[in-house]
Amino acid sequence: MTRTDTRVGSVEARPTLGRARPFWTSRRRDQLTGYLLITPQLLGSAIFVILPLILVVWYSLHEWNVLAGTFDFAGADNYQALAEDPNLGAVLRATGLFSIGLVVFNLSLALLLAVLLNQKLRGTILFRTLFFSPVVVSLVAWTIVWGFLLQDNGGVNSLLDTMGVDGPNWLRGEGTAMLSVIVVQVFKNVGLNMVLFLAALQGVPANLYEAAEVDGASRMRQFGLITVPLISPTILLTSIITVVGSLQVFAQIAVLTQGGPGTSTTVLVYYLYQQAFQFHHFGYGATLSILLFVIVLALTVLQWQMRKRWVFHES
Amino acid sequence: MKPGKGSTVVAAALAGVLALSACGGGEAKDNGPANLRMTVWSANEAHLKLFNEIADEYRKTHPDVAEIKFDPIPFENYSTTLTTQIAGGNAPDLAWVLESSAPDFVASGALLPLDDTLKKADGYQYDDLSPATLKLWQNDGKLYGYPFSTSPFGVFVNTDLLKKAGQKTPAELIAAGQWTWDNALAAAAAVNGKAGKAGLVIRDFDYKGWDNLSTFWTGWGARAWSEDGKSCGFASPEMVDAMTTLHKAIFTTKALPGPGTTADFFAGDAAMTITQISRASLLKDDGFAWDLVPLPAGPKGPYSVFGQGGIGVMKKSPHADVAADFLAFLTNPTNSAKLAQFFPPPRQSQLTAETLAKANPKLKPEQLQKVVIDGITNGVVKPNHAGQAELSQQVRAGLDPLWQPDADVKAVLDGVCAKIQPLLAK
Amino acid sequence: MSRDLSRRTKLVLYGVLLVLAIPFVFPTWWMVTSSLKPVADIFAFPPQLLPVNPRLDAYRRVFELQPFGQQYLNSLYIALVVTIGTLAVSALAGYAFARIRFRGQNVLFLVVLAGLLIPSEVTIVPLFQMFFKLGLINTHWPLILVPIFGAPSVLATFIMRQFFISLPGELEEAARVDGLGRFATFWRIALPLSRPALGAVAIFTFLHSWNLYLEPIVFLSSPEKFTLPQTLTQFVDAYGGPMWDVQLAAASMTALPVLVVFVIAQKQFVEGLAHTGLKG
Repeated sequence: MTRTDTRVGSVEARPTLGRARPFWTSRRRDQLTGYLLITPQLLGSAIFVILPLILVVWYSLHEWNVLAGTFDFAGADNYQALAEDPNLGAVLRATGLFSIGLVVFNLSLALLLAVLLNQKLRGTILFRTLFFSPVVVSLVAWTIVWGFLLQDNGGVNSLLDTMGVDGPNWLRGEGTAMLSVIVVQVFKNVGLNMVLFLAALQGVPANLYEAAEVDGASRMRQFGLITVPLISPTILLTSIITVVGSLQVFAQIAVLTQGGPGTSTTVLVYYLYQQAFQFHHFGYGATLSILLFVIVLALTVLQWQMRKRWVFHES
Repeated sequence: MKPGKGSTVVAAALAGVLALSACGGGEAKDNGPANLRMTVWSANEAHLKLFNEIADEYRKTHPDVAEIKFDPIPFENYSTTLTTQIAGGNAPDLAWVLESSAPDFVASGALLPLDDTLKKADGYQYDDLSPATLKLWQNDGKLYGYPFSTSPFGVFVNTDLLKKAGQKTPAELIAAGQWTWDNALAAAAAVNGKAGKAGLVIRDFDYKGWDNLSTFWTGWGARAWSEDGKSCGFASPEMVDAMTTLHKAIFTTKALPGPGTTADFFAGDAAMTITQISRASLLKDDGFAWDLVPLPAGPKGPYSVFGQGGIGVMKKSPHADVAADFLAFLTNPTNSAKLAQFFPPPRQSQLTAETLAKANPKLKPEQLQKVVIDGITNGVVKPNHAGQAELSQQVRAGLDPLWQPDADVKAVLDGVCAKIQPLLAK
Repeated sequence: MSRDLSRRTKLVLYGVLLVLAIPFVFPTWWMVTSSLKPVADIFAFPPQLLPVNPRLDAYRRVFELQPFGQQYLNSLYIALVVTIGTLAVSALAGYAFARIRFRGQNVLFLVVLAGLLIPSEVTIVPLFQMFFKLGLINTHWPLILVPIFGAPSVLATFIMRQFFISLPGELEEAARVDGLGRFATFWRIALPLSRPALGAVAIFTFLHSWNLYLEPIVFLSSPEKFTLPQTLTQFVDAYGGPMWDVQLAAASMTALPVLVVFVIAQKQFVEGLAHTGLKG
């Protein structure tokens, strides 16, 4: 390492590289360091992300029957089938509903919890732990318990009953099934976002509020004018993580609704899982994967572009 | 971006990776001692212990087999994992095959024909295998899977609950020749009304696993699809009759618990449940008084239904012949009798009340005779079709509107056929 | 920001927090208490809040039925290796993407970011093919390499990048004046400052590895190599029905230690994050 440094660092060691201007300008050295530092990540991405993705594209051009061991070139057939798939509209609708519902509910609850826990109050650490605890609970156990609670004669409805409300059959109604899946997922993971928001809130300087107080701004106004702009980078981060995560939710749907009733909770990941692994349409499953990838990519780029508009002090 | 350093790095990395994955490792296709691997969906200790005992015994006489490994994969992930392994080039040598994927496996050409190996094996008594149990596993006269487990559906009865509701027990009804669906549903409704417990539960149906409903509609002579699998049977008058009866039993008389309501028979929450006899193990010795009876007669008379699991040998296995030979050993009369304690065997000679009673100490010989032996001999297998998973999904989604109190049964069933007919016609 | 609150406001806040806590706590509570109940009581209705006949039988059986101690160690060491590896990879890449200008930077960042966007169901088959070719099936390598270098570490790099961007530029100016090279600046100045972000990454990464479910099931087949979430699926009776009490006992043992670590570490973690803030 030291040897490399001397060699790279000294112009004299490389006499061939131009006399007028040293080749290893500090800018060039900087660039090289940049490339070196990202090499592990980049190489890893190439091997474990890009290469598999290329293979998936390759599969999508084929009719692949895993059982029979046939792998025949199909050209754009799978993409043609995608355009004509009668289920696709319903699947995309469910995917959109799920993602929007999840992101809105997750971020607002996370922010609400963070604001509550940021008050001067004894025992917030206890509550913080309680709200975070589902994050470490096994997903399977979590979903099973909720499946049990959401039954027609389950815990949620008996609770509603004591309040004189006749609860719906949560997992069997088209609208309520979607709502249930979203809520179960939010309770499971909102703790992570809550902790990030909490950290961001604690980073907001107190004197800003004091100044606003002097100016007579109401709490709500302070929240809108000071808190939200100052934590906007965290809002961006959590919203990207949550949107991306929402498009990858699979196990909960498999356990709670299996995509039903009807196709009301069949989101894109679940649909592609069905096509590839259950129906053995591997090529078509790969095509759906590409669609999913394009959607997530588009959304992320969109959010990334929008950050300039609403994220305070982003470079 | 201009073609600069960045894209060169990516291209170089990709090239390296491709080279690496192309030449690395190499598949273990040697001709040395065979290592056999069999994927199973049971991680149960007792099952694995028995398999390993049989495997050890086999290896004593077959030094060319170095290892026989049983690879338990959780049931919910069984198909996914098996498919990934096959797609990834790491197929097992032997695999348990679910009855619902049987037609796909049998027709795909992925499995080795077994007839010759089994017939040639010493003392195998191939003709002892009951033809009814083999049907699902045959294609063009060849056998592609061995039905190691054939488990008929029966009705477990909580006689305590029925008596409490002032109902005749199924045994009494059978004796009087009145064990019909009408009477069974009436008794179930009475239990729900008087004892506050669930009447009858079709286990594992839960308004999703619709193929379990074949234990009901077969009594009406209805079928999910025709024998040749080409035309939809959901819109047939028999099916409409059967489903109308079922709908009424769920939503009007409440003989069955409604959607989203669970009642576990084995915990004493229901008077009757339709399930496979293997579930008898869930009954507790100190629990309620119970009985096991055949399915009630439908309008078309008595009938029975069974479910199956099979074992296939993967044709691509480098040791396919050895694997087939082991399968012949695993399922020969001696070992089949051992396996019978967990899995009802397809061998007629072992389908006797005495053999089965040894394995199922909780069941009485006449229960075994009526439900298991008669069931396997005369029964029909649960609905199965090539591309079952996709069909099944469509049927489930199509039937969902039926599970509403005000559903139009005929219209829903027509809708199911509209959905699946294109798939069946393929 | 917190201002002092009146007594009444405090009471109201406690009330709101208590009600909100119910849906978070009940399932965990149910999981832990049910692991102490006999099977028949687990699904009793209405649910028993406390086990009527508590017993530790299920916990004993967890260890009888599976090499649970070994599996625990597997999960633990895999999660630790993955966490350390991810911290290294993501800190380096995050710093470079945030603070160094080099050609193709944005495109390369997008390439890396792509990993964040691909669900594991999509790439599991090609990855399986690759690891099979390399002879690494039924080893822990796929569970270590993919998270460190593949999709899961991308989130980490993203968080690190967002953090490093927020550092004031003067720091590096000062370092340069002191004659520090780029790497030394990273190592001696930027990295020590990034402890809170590293903490966030460590928690995310550890939990992700700890809860990984699909991959172990696909890649591992010997019980002594299993990880915990996979082991949970192995406690079944003779007919494939789950042994609820044993599964829940194993699930409780899987969750509680992580929760305890969080309780201990959270103060430092949250406050550490707050002092510098994850400012985009």
